[in-house]
Amino acid sequence: MSALETFVDAADETLLAVEGVTLSFGGVQAIKDVSFDIKKGEIRAIIGPNGAGKTSMLNVINGFYHPQKGKITFKGNTRTDMRPHVAATQGISRTFQNVALFRGMSTLDNIMTGRTLKMTTNLFWHLFRFGPAEQEELEHREFVERIIDFLEIQHIRKTPVGRLPYGLQKRVELGRALAAQPDLLLLDEPMAGMNLEEKEDMSRFVIDVNDQFGTTIALIEHDMGVVMDLSNRVVVLDHGEKIADGTPDEVKSNQDVIDAYLGVAH
Amino acid sequence: MATETAQAAGEDTFPKLLLRNAVKFADRPAIREKDLGIWQTWTWSQVLDEVRAFAVGLSALGIKAGDKVAIVGDNRPRLYWTMCAAQSLGAVPIPVYQDSVAEEMKFVLEHAGATCAVVENQEQVDKILEIRESYKAIKTIVYDEDRGLKNYNVKGLYAFEDVQAKGRAALSDGAEAIWHEQIARGQPADTAIILYTSGTTGKPKGVVLTMENTLWAARVANRFDNLTENEETIAYLPMAWVGDHIFSYAQSYECGYCVNCPESPETVVDDRREIGTTYAFAPPRVYENLITLTMVRMEDAARIKRKMFDYFLALANRVGEKILNGEPVGVTDRLLYALGDFLVYAPIKNRFGLSKVRVGYTAGEAIGPEIFRFYRSLGINLKQLYGQTEAAVYITNQPDGEIYADTVGAPLEGIEVKVDDSGEVLYRSPGVFKEYYKNAKATRETKTKDGWVHSGDAGFIDDRGHLKIIDRAKDVGHLKDGTLFPPKYIENKLKFFPNIKEAVAIGDGRDYVACMVNIDLTAVGSWAERNNVVYASYQELAAHPDVYKMVEGHVAEVNRELAAEERVAGAQIQRFLVLHKELDADDGEITRTAKVRRSFVEERYKPLIDALFNRRKSSQHIKTEVTFEDGRKGAIEGDVEIRDMTPMPVAGTNRIAAE
Amino acid sequence: MGEILHGIFINPFIEIAGAPDLFVQVLWEGFVSGTLYALIALGFVLIFKASGVFNFAQGIMVVFGALSLVGLFAAGVPAWLALILCIGIMFGLAWGVERVVLRNLVNQEPIILFMATIGLNYFLIGFGEFIFGGEPKTMITSEIGLPTGSFDFEVLGGLVSLQQIDVSAAVIAGLLVAGLAVFFNKTRIGRALRAVADDHQAAMSVGITLQQIWVIVWFAAGIVALTTGIMWGARSDVSFALSIVALKALPVLILGGFTSVPGAIVGGLIIGISEKLAEFYWGPLVGGSIESWFPYFLALIFLWFRPQGLFGERIIERV
Repeated sequence: MSALETFVDAADETLLAVEGVTLSFGGVQAIKDVSFDIKKGEIRAIIGPNGAGKTSMLNVINGFYHPQKGKITFKGNTRTDMRPHVAATQGISRTFQNVALFRGMSTLDNIMTGRTLKMTTNLFWHLFRFGPAEQEELEHREFVERIIDFLEIQHIRKTPVGRLPYGLQKRVELGRALAAQPDLLLLDEPMAGMNLEEKEDMSRFVIDVNDQFGTTIALIEHDMGVVMDLSNRVVVLDHGEKIADGTPDEVKSNQDVIDAYLGVAH
Repeated sequence: MATETAQAAGEDTFPKLLLRNAVKFADRPAIREKDLGIWQTWTWSQVLDEVRAFAVGLSALGIKAGDKVAIVGDNRPRLYWTMCAAQSLGAVPIPVYQDSVAEEMKFVLEHAGATCAVVENQEQVDKILEIRESYKAIKTIVYDEDRGLKNYNVKGLYAFEDVQAKGRAALSDGAEAIWHEQIARGQPADTAIILYTSGTTGKPKGVVLTMENTLWAARVANRFDNLTENEETIAYLPMAWVGDHIFSYAQSYECGYCVNCPESPETVVDDRREIGTTYAFAPPRVYENLITLTMVRMEDAARIKRKMFDYFLALANRVGEKILNGEPVGVTDRLLYALGDFLVYAPIKNRFGLSKVRVGYTAGEAIGPEIFRFYRSLGINLKQLYGQTEAAVYITNQPDGEIYADTVGAPLEGIEVKVDDSGEVLYRSPGVFKEYYKNAKATRETKTKDGWVHSGDAGFIDDRGHLKIIDRAKDVGHLKDGTLFPPKYIENKLKFFPNIKEAVAIGDGRDYVACMVNIDLTAVGSWAERNNVVYASYQELAAHPDVYKMVEGHVAEVNRELAAEERVAGAQIQRFLVLHKELDADDGEITRTAKVRRSFVEERYKPLIDALFNRRKSSQHIKTEVTFEDGRKGAIEGDVEIRDMTPMPVAGTNRIAAE
Repeated sequence: MGEILHGIFINPFIEIAGAPDLFVQVLWEGFVSGTLYALIALGFVLIFKASGVFNFAQGIMVVFGALSLVGLFAAGVPAWLALILCIGIMFGLAWGVERVVLRNLVNQEPIILFMATIGLNYFLIGFGEFIFGGEPKTMITSEIGLPTGSFDFEVLGGLVSLQQIDVSAAVIAGLLVAGLAVFFNKTRIGRALRAVADDHQAAMSVGITLQQIWVIVWFAAGIVALTTGIMWGARSDVSFALSIVALKALPVLILGGFTSVPGAIVGGLIIGISEKLAEFYWGPLVGGSIESWFPYFLALIFLWFRPQGLFGERIIERV
């Protein structure tokens, strides 16, 4: 019953295509002419040794960084440059490597912020929380409660997230990203710094999200076991270049990948 | 009591009581569940509607009288309804501990001969499917929560609401009359439920309780504390435990009070506070945990707040219980106590969710007298009862106004209690179980021909007519020189310290008493943070010299207390160690109801115990295999230090003679 | 020497005990100016929290708001309409600041943004003088419905007099703070504001537009400034000298912490009350007018004990 099988025959539709993207800061090239695609409904892993440009790649996809060359096509729209909130508007949500939550706010409020783009009522009403704004707030609250239920975090609903242990913070951050009902969910090392039990919980949530909501997921992860278990396809970056792309098994046996991980000089 | 037990016609089974309640308490709340942050309520008439639809649906799926229906999951309304639905068809509900691994669960299902399982969620469905690979008799599986189950294509797997839909369809075709006939056929002597005891030794045994057993127990308990349909309780203990069954099902059906199902096991304290439970039931561990949390929070509080807290707790300790018991107390103390209630006691009670509790019980294991007094001194009417699965819970209860911390109360009306020559407690009542399912030998060993049941506990009845339990009959031991050695008594004293989570005392047939201690990670971790003690793991913290020093202080305190009581003065702890891992149910070291499996632990940590009784050794290397939640195995290893204690001088020589 | 010690530690308390009514009066004066300090500090805190900018121009915004009101009225606009227009002007100012200043300087060093607000400060002074002229003006207190006159009480055997305008200043300030608290905690915009204050990057990734939030925050700070300006103007005159008073917010911020709204309020009250008490009872000792430097002195002492401010987050460094 694994999540993987159900997607083998999923539609072969490309959700996001990255073509020839090059990104440099000053003279340093972080990403060199990288191309790959993400198919609708799959779990796509991006792996590579430290400094391979993985997080930079996510930042390009989500609009934090603007590549010097190359283009990105998301849901058929091609663009070279966009801002993060535009990416969010188009349906891309993300989590961060070092949890970027609103620490002073409760779990509930944090996840509610994820609904920002789904709120349509005129800002004026929100100044006073009257009329349609009140109604809308309640509807979104219900949606958020479903996420809280889904992630099994009812007991920390009202707790300021700054006080939560790391593993739970990661879960809240996932909840906030889910609240936007994204088409593409970017997870930057969702399991970093977790113990075995927490990793298993998180893996289960990632699979369930993919399985139940059909959300396409791109994730960066260091734990090879997790990557091999979760992902349908893997793209491997090293020193900003793509060195392999394929199913977990293909990638695992690829000589370039083995060399990169063992630190063989290029 | 005789008139009470001759039950009014039409009220002698739970399905019949449901029909009554649906009329008598039609619009009163019967059960609630917190879902998506909101309390959902079902009235008794709505419950009837739900149960009827589900029962008729089950019937359509082929469930019939005599079938066994396994129930697995956290406390949820639908699982409670399943109990009544099964009973209405003459089938027998078998609640199973929801955190048992597949292997444990398989034993129960196979032994009971279950053909149907109604479970909470995907996790449990997966377990049942795994069991079904080797135990093929399970034809029907019904689940409550559909998350993750949408893509399952398995024969005999149904959603709860789909079964109810089948039932509703059949009801419109005239199935209702048949259902009512089935209920009318129900007899007091019918099996109401089979509860598998978790058992500290050997395989679980299935305790068969009849309608008469459980209903009698419910009725007696409700009358004893004058419970009405206005009570609010919270159902959070395992449904497979007799306490929950009587308390959240039988007693609720008997007098119509409302049972509240928490949102998740982690939210119980908050949920209890929101509901304002009036009738509470919890094993000592729950009360201990609440104290630990409070003490830890107070140690982090500002100094002035802590001073105030300490002052008023000392006051409560001095006069609180007297006030609760209605004994005379000076005016100044009364005024101060009222002030303390405003500043300290009421906020604490509110935090615990116990502000509105009229009667609270603790049972399952002996509660530390200090813990017990703590709650009573705050003005919470906490009482002890002594019960067993085989008795449908109730054997003795503490009546209001006769609360002694060291006894478990007097026998309820209709219950006889006696102590045999070996010191074992025996009892007889209309609540006494019918038999152990498919285990005539065990039934014969436990229940005599004339209905007396061996409790397995050692105790005596004091001159006030109250029962005093010392320990498990087989656990009370003697040192080599014949000195009495009551392990639980010693362990409970240790466990009152917030820093100590679990303790195992060893001494039977030995030269002296030694002890293994588990520190409480919450309490000690918070202490470590305040004192800049750096640690990376439980093991590292447990072995820290400062932690040892702290535990040594606690052990010395216990020894001082033991020294003050002549009968146990010889059982002072002479050597102790702090275990390098937490005792864990997944490793089989404690039961699912969190009791230490003594013999297993003694076997598993034999090298440590040998070292404890070898005075030349001051540390011991050990490697312990551990099981992670997913069933994988690993190992923890390291050196464990052993500390020597100097016994306290025995105070007062002839106290017993003087009494 | 003994006389000085006597003057510091004994005489003032004898005076207080001897004339408690006077003490109550001084306390009240301090409370009212404390309220206004608190409002100014609140304006600083709002902007600092949401955008990390120390807005040097907050003081001149107070003057500018008050001047606009008086100026519009002088130009023949009815008082109520002038008030509404002033709110509009504050919004325009917020919008302009975001467009012209913040948007282009985003992601620059805080010091650059600070310099920009100094520029804004002098621009507003120049612009204000150009339009309204430099001479002091009188606030149109009664025209906008604020009471004049006073309440007189018998307190502890003496007469205490509360100016009605002061009472309304305190009440309005309280309402404003309560309103802001509700706005921050209960509305979607408030939630977005708190989100931005906590983490810019994360806020952007959930689709919150920083620009929009900045306009709202500057607008909120503008409303606070306008209110402060009206109240302060009603107690003295409306002039550019008022912006100097706004610098009193600095010790308030040191006391209360730069990111704490409750800190700004409590800090404002502490500064207001203590400077009035110091001036009245200890001032004569050094020849008066210690009012102008005492708050800074107090803040400095305070820094010794709590560098993070009263309610500021405690910075714990783990080794």
